[in-house]
Amino acid sequence: MAVDRRKIAVFGAAFVLRLLLTCLFPSLPDLLTGRVEVSTPVNSFKRLQEGLFLYTRNVSPYDGGVFHQAPLLLPLFALLPNAKSWPLPTAIFYFLVDLLNAYALLTISASGQSVKSRLHSAVRKHVRWDGVSVAAWFLFNPLTIATCLARSTSVFTTSGILFAVSNAVSGNTINAMLALGFASYLSLYPVLLFIPLVLLCYDRRSEGSSPPNVGSFIVQHAALLLASVAGLLGLSCLITGDFWEFISATYGFHLLVPDLTPNVGLWWYFFIEMFDSFREFFLGVFWLHLASYMGGLTARFRRQPLFVVTALLGVFAIFKPYPSISDASLFFALLPLYRHLFPLMRYTFFAGSAILYSSLLGPAFYHLWIYAGSGNANFFYAITLVWSLGLSILLADTVFAALRDEWEQECPGMVGAEVRQV
Amino acid sequence: MATKIGDQESPQASASHQPSVKRAPPPETPAAIQTRFRVIAAFWAVIIFLGFPIWWKTTSIYRASLPIEEMVDWADGKACRPVFPLEIHLATPSMQSLEAQHLLRTTQHALDDLNEFAAHHLRLKLSNGSTTATHNGEDSPESFKYLAEETADTALTVRLLPQEGLVGPRSELQTATTQLDIFYPPNQVPVPSSSNSPLSAFITAELQRLYSEEKATIAYILSGNTAGLDSTSPQLAEEIDRRLRRSIKYAETYHLSFSLFTPGSEPSSWDIEAAVNEYVSPLLQALSPISNFTIDTQVQLYANFAPTAPKPEYDESEAVWTLKKEGLSAFVNAAEWPLNPSIGSGPTINFILYIPDPSQSPLFVKENRASSWMVPQWGGVFILNPPLSHTDKQGGPSNPTHLSQDSLGPAFMTFSHQLLTLLGTPSTPTSLPLRLQTSIRIRAASLLLSASSTMGSLARLTKSLPSIPIPATVATSVSTTLSHLSSSCAHLREGRFSAALASARVAETEAERSFFEKSMVGQVYFPDEHKVAVYLPLLGPIGVPLVVGLLKELKRIAGRRKAKGAP
Repeated sequence: MAVDRRKIAVFGAAFVLRLLLTCLFPSLPDLLTGRVEVSTPVNSFKRLQEGLFLYTRNVSPYDGGVFHQAPLLLPLFALLPNAKSWPLPTAIFYFLVDLLNAYALLTISASGQSVKSRLHSAVRKHVRWDGVSVAAWFLFNPLTIATCLARSTSVFTTSGILFAVSNAVSGNTINAMLALGFASYLSLYPVLLFIPLVLLCYDRRSEGSSPPNVGSFIVQHAALLLASVAGLLGLSCLITGDFWEFISATYGFHLLVPDLTPNVGLWWYFFIEMFDSFREFFLGVFWLHLASYMGGLTARFRRQPLFVVTALLGVFAIFKPYPSISDASLFFALLPLYRHLFPLMRYTFFAGSAILYSSLLGPAFYHLWIYAGSGNANFFYAITLVWSLGLSILLADTVFAALRDEWEQECPGMVGAEVRQV
Repeated sequence: MATKIGDQESPQASASHQPSVKRAPPPETPAAIQTRFRVIAAFWAVIIFLGFPIWWKTTSIYRASLPIEEMVDWADGKACRPVFPLEIHLATPSMQSLEAQHLLRTTQHALDDLNEFAAHHLRLKLSNGSTTATHNGEDSPESFKYLAEETADTALTVRLLPQEGLVGPRSELQTATTQLDIFYPPNQVPVPSSSNSPLSAFITAELQRLYSEEKATIAYILSGNTAGLDSTSPQLAEEIDRRLRRSIKYAETYHLSFSLFTPGSEPSSWDIEAAVNEYVSPLLQALSPISNFTIDTQVQLYANFAPTAPKPEYDESEAVWTLKKEGLSAFVNAAEWPLNPSIGSGPTINFILYIPDPSQSPLFVKENRASSWMVPQWGGVFILNPPLSHTDKQGGPSNPTHLSQDSLGPAFMTFSHQLLTLLGTPSTPTSLPLRLQTSIRIRAASLLLSASSTMGSLARLTKSLPSIPIPATVATSVSTTLSHLSSSCAHLREGRFSAALASARVAETEAERSFFEKSMVGQVYFPDEHKVAVYLPLLGPIGVPLVVGLLKELKRIAGRRKAKGAP
């Protein structure tokens, strides 16, 4: 059982690495928790602690306008010992969630959906990494480790999305919808993944005996998703009591973006500068921009729904209102599934350099702006632009490679032919 | 999007640019064309079905419709000509009714002949003596309200009383009521045959004299000058002008601030509550139809003069300390004395009671030995020189530690007088109720004008700036203003001045509220050119590939249709 031993080694090493980092540098988790690159108003562990404090004292957790996360997290964390005095149990809980996410990736990779689906079969099938490598790529990604140590609640959204995908590729369509419902309930934007995910489910189902009717299949699963979200909302209502207060404090906060704390995204600077009277309009524009990729990508990559999910996760990591490095780490987690596209990509060096450059210089410029006072907001904003540029190049390159792959599959004679962009 | 369209076509394009390549690019399959159509349709569906509604909803400016015409009419004075018909009751307890009616007719004729300002006229009315007495001197707001619902306010009651031993008629105005007593020799009762009589001429002259200042003031307010009135003497015009300049701008609420300042440690207490209750509250009660008042008081010890202010000088001849008249403007040490310029919304009227140091007592104004003066549009100052006591062991005289209500009396009498002046109450006639009534009429006129001109400004503003939003609250305020303006005007026409003032006050408040609505002025200066700068940087880069993609697709569809029709 050589493979199993490798798997255990990777998972064990990842766990030990996290444990060592926590124990050797006890101040590291709190340092990371305070970083704007990791903690945004919608996933910050500090804000969760505030909500938890209010919740355990029978005050509405949304009083004071600090806490903006889903209420179901509160009873979950109320079960864990206090993170201030006993940080280890909470930390280990987060490590286990990370390992679970890696396990979901393992399942996705094992299904082979990324190279061969019902309607599509990649030209370079043989160029691929096995599941353990994909999981290791995810587990040892510094962005993932930082997110995990900072105890950002984005990891639960990540779990929801990864488990939705892993269940979809395994054919457990009901579980996939429930997991997507959980992710959407936590952070709203994963609901945009519904269409590609339901197509993935449909493709898996159609590989079997009798393909079901597309329309009724989609409607059934939409109903399932709605039911799961409604059930979670109902539970939350039991916890908080005031339905509208919790809706406006969580989803209203996601939609209307009132907190313009700097983060690695593009929204905060823009909305600081925006004329007040145009604020609503540009909120609409930004959200529509985010949502509009869903239709186009799904139509173009109808044959590779899993790739649509990957590309959309990349779009979210760039254009979502409160992005953090955990969104980028989710995108990077799914990319190695497309190892066969890497030979077709043209700007990997440029994209990689831009991302490295910004991830090293970002904290420095933030320090210059906020603590040293020798820089201004534009320093940090410029770096977030570079970060987004790097991600965009990577995303566009991946999309290009996928298109090229499809084209080569259609015209086998053109494999390896030179292309020139016009 | 740009990437995708470009990339998809790039192999084809590159092949066409390089004819040397051995194999021609394979033609696009119908499936690929259909996919491209779907992609473009997916993006445009989002734009059309979600983008445009959002754009429409979030950028359309809500402009509630305002009755512009009506507002301009009010500002131009077309909607209402304010008139002031004063109803004067003629009580003739000892006259035959025929004689009395004749007297009334001739006097009215004489009054009408003499009146050169049509908006302000006096209407005489006979009344039997028993009822007139009940209305006399009732200035409480309740009676004003009560009267307003029924009949016109009685401006004045003229009581004609025969008195033996008089050569000619003689008048006596009662200072506490609205009653003018005219005593006449019984033989001067006009006979119905005669067209003129000394008694009616006398009454006419008395009434003219009584109302000349009010008439001039109202004419001044309505037209901006008194030029229309020949009878107004230049002195009177100047007097009115000066009074209006000295008085504080009308406000719904005034804050009265009474302060006791002394350079030493004594007196440290005063019977202010009793003094206010005794001297100020009745006046405020009488003024309550015009404005609301709040009162606060303070005692400030060790209050020194400003270092730059001229010091009091000792006048040896009369053994008093004196202040020069021209130095009075520096008397109030505005930098150090805690006198708040404004508390809350309304203006503050300051009254300062100054107790000089025992070593500088008594203190007077040098030129006229006065102990009080008024600061225009600000308040009044009174220097109180209390009797000094010599109980102090160190030997020097000292001020009393406590000021009783009686010792505050003169100061507060002066303050009430100053308050009336500061509020713009006319100085004649001597009867306080009459002066208050005049004040009501003057205020009603000025508020009516001010609210009307605010309406005009608002109408001009909305016409000249088509891009500012007009919230529904402004429209509500405007309609409230207009309705109160017209009811105020109607009240004026029928002589119910208190009701007219009440309506005018509401109209003024609402007019100010609508004009200074915050959400309106936020976008006052935002020309359309700026919108290009707002939209283009963001929507341009997104829009160009989308529009180009759409155009290409439309061209393809058109070409295919042509190809189908051609063969």
